Amino acid sequence: MPFVLFFLLFLCYLVSGYGVLTLFGMRLKTAYMITLSLLLGVAIASMLPFLMQLFYIPLTPASVFGSLFGMALLLNIPTIRRIRKEGFTAIRKTFAMRPFRILSAELPFLAIFAFLVFVSVWRCYYLPPTSRDALSGPEAIADVAVREHTMINSFFNIDLWSTNNQFKSPFLISLQMICKMAGFPFGQVWLSIVFISFTVFLYHAMKEKIHPIIAGLLLLLFLMTPEMYAYTFMILYDYSNMIFFFLSLYFLFDYFRNKIPAHFYFAGLLMGIATYIRSETLVLAFLFLPPILLTQIRGREPVKKIALANLFFFLPSLLGYYLTSQLYIKYYLPVHYDIGSLINNHLSDLHPLFQRYTDIVTHLVASEFGIHLWGYLFYITAFLFLAEGLFRGRYNKDARNWLYAILALYIGIGALGFALPMMNLNETTKRALFKLLPLAVLYLANNNLLIRLSQWISRWEGAPLAFTLIGKRSTASASARPAADRPAPGKSATQGKSAAPAGKSRSSKKRRNK
Amino acid sequence: MKGFLLTIVSFLLVVLVLNAGYYREWFQAKPAQYWTDFLKEKDDTLDAIGIMKSRYGISYVISIRVKEVVQKRNLVNPVILFEPNSYYRDSLHIYPNVHAPEPAVFYYYTGLEGVWINSPNVSKANFLVRVSKKGVSLDAIKTPQQLQQILAFYKKFTPIL
Repeated sequence: MPFVLFFLLFLCYLVSGYGVLTLFGMRLKTAYMITLSLLLGVAIASMLPFLMQLFYIPLTPASVFGSLFGMALLLNIPTIRRIRKEGFTAIRKTFAMRPFRILSAELPFLAIFAFLVFVSVWRCYYLPPTSRDALSGPEAIADVAVREHTMINSFFNIDLWSTNNQFKSPFLISLQMICKMAGFPFGQVWLSIVFISFTVFLYHAMKEKIHPIIAGLLLLLFLMTPEMYAYTFMILYDYSNMIFFFLSLYFLFDYFRNKIPAHFYFAGLLMGIATYIRSETLVLAFLFLPPILLTQIRGREPVKKIALANLFFFLPSLLGYYLTSQLYIKYYLPVHYDIGSLINNHLSDLHPLFQRYTDIVTHLVASEFGIHLWGYLFYITAFLFLAEGLFRGRYNKDARNWLYAILALYIGIGALGFALPMMNLNETTKRALFKLLPLAVLYLANNNLLIRLSQWISRWEGAPLAFTLIGKRSTASASARPAADRPAPGKSATQGKSAAPAGKSRSSKKRRNK
Repeated sequence: MKGFLLTIVSFLLVVLVLNAGYYREWFQAKPAQYWTDFLKEKDDTLDAIGIMKSRYGISYVISIRVKEVVQKRNLVNPVILFEPNSYYRDSLHIYPNVHAPEPAVFYYYTGLEGVWINSPNVSKANFLVRVSKKGVSLDAIKTPQQLQQILAFYKKFTPIL
């Protein structure tokens, strides 16, 4: 029975997320559409019980599952209308259909990925380790909520002096509740959906840029990050936060390249989800305002339009922050929590700030402890970053975007640790560094040396040149075009146009890419 | 042929990563070990409580034992006082193998209210979980004076998680 319900939930997540994608007019490769649909579906599921709680609707299995299926239908009203008009071909049209192709050289990597995924899924299902942060907050609240039909339940009547985890985002509570109601005593099978979807997305995103062998190698290094791998089967906020933060930047940078407004607003939505999961992401979101403004000013957009666009970009993040960290805590929870009291009282003394920046590098990254946390991924990134600077002399535009993101994140995480002393180095800051990992691998996927190597392998195997330097290739939305279908540099100008969004001229795209 | 050679290269790259430095150590200790565990666990017939006992260890076992005693004796509104973990560490030298759950976690395990010696509502405590080398016992706290004596005894042990 639980597995039937799980399958229905899975379909529900898929359909809900697909509804969101179509509302944004997203037309992406099938692999992206499916994985993003699932991730968005999980995000929606994490919000519904919380929103019901805000309206004091009892959280019974009937009301929770009813709301999930209702929302899936509601979000797909435009799709249903189109199906009624055009038949089921309307759905096919929303996918950028490409032939599914796996090289034999990918198989060894796929085998080890399958092994790592299987082990993680089994751990998630059968013997899930649960961190103290989850046990003393969201997991316990969710467990009681299933019995008492409310998130504001008897858990808040007991002695909670030793924990503040009851004040964290209802993201985990909602998802755990749904899984427990579906018959999984430990919940958390949702985490496997998130893990697999993101892994598939990331692999395809890298294969857009580099040869599948190199993409496979980078993904293997990413998956074998010891600390992060543990969080693929241990529920907490940071792994999911990392995913939505990364996806937001992925579409934001895609907007920088292709100027598709839907991708900009979609990035804003994803950042909002990341902020809903971890409220301090709001600060990190604003660190991307400078490049956004720069892009908009370069595009000679009117000030009013810029202001409005940015308002809509940051609105989901502001809402994600306000609903969880202000409204819910202040006006719903029976226990008082003064967030203002958590802020460092000595902000004028900058010594701890620089100390935190130093500690992040020397203690968490460039140390034996760092290797135990992240493997050698950061060392490899640093080496290839230096090598690219040394041998190529410059970084391409996409690489620069990811490098900016890495720098902004480092500055932001350090500053947050300074402003909020509760963000200790060994736990909170360490987990916040998860967000650096996909940024690092996407930087590597845009590293000119690895792109050259990809070209060399392609030439050697006699395949069409699929991997081109950013300055030379077509600017058509990369996310809609698999690498295998991308033409050689010399042909890109005309062939690339076919995948360009309607209304975009080739010349204007060329100008933007300079 | 070139495809085959590339497949060999991929295979070698996977082997290289799995055997490189700390990755080898980690892979053996974690994913490979989890796989070995899976081969055993797939035939397990443990129920949810059995799985939680093996997952959370002695802390969970003590909590469930307390719950069983409370149910057996039909105790009404029990508030369970736990000895400080620093007592287990400094005096009994059994920490962290044996440690008391914090009240929030104890509530999750059992649905019962627990307190530590520095809890604001420690005065409500009417039972004490006492761990000794002989075993675990649940003793009634009958008077406020008795509670004060207990608190005075454990005062020098600062509560730790």
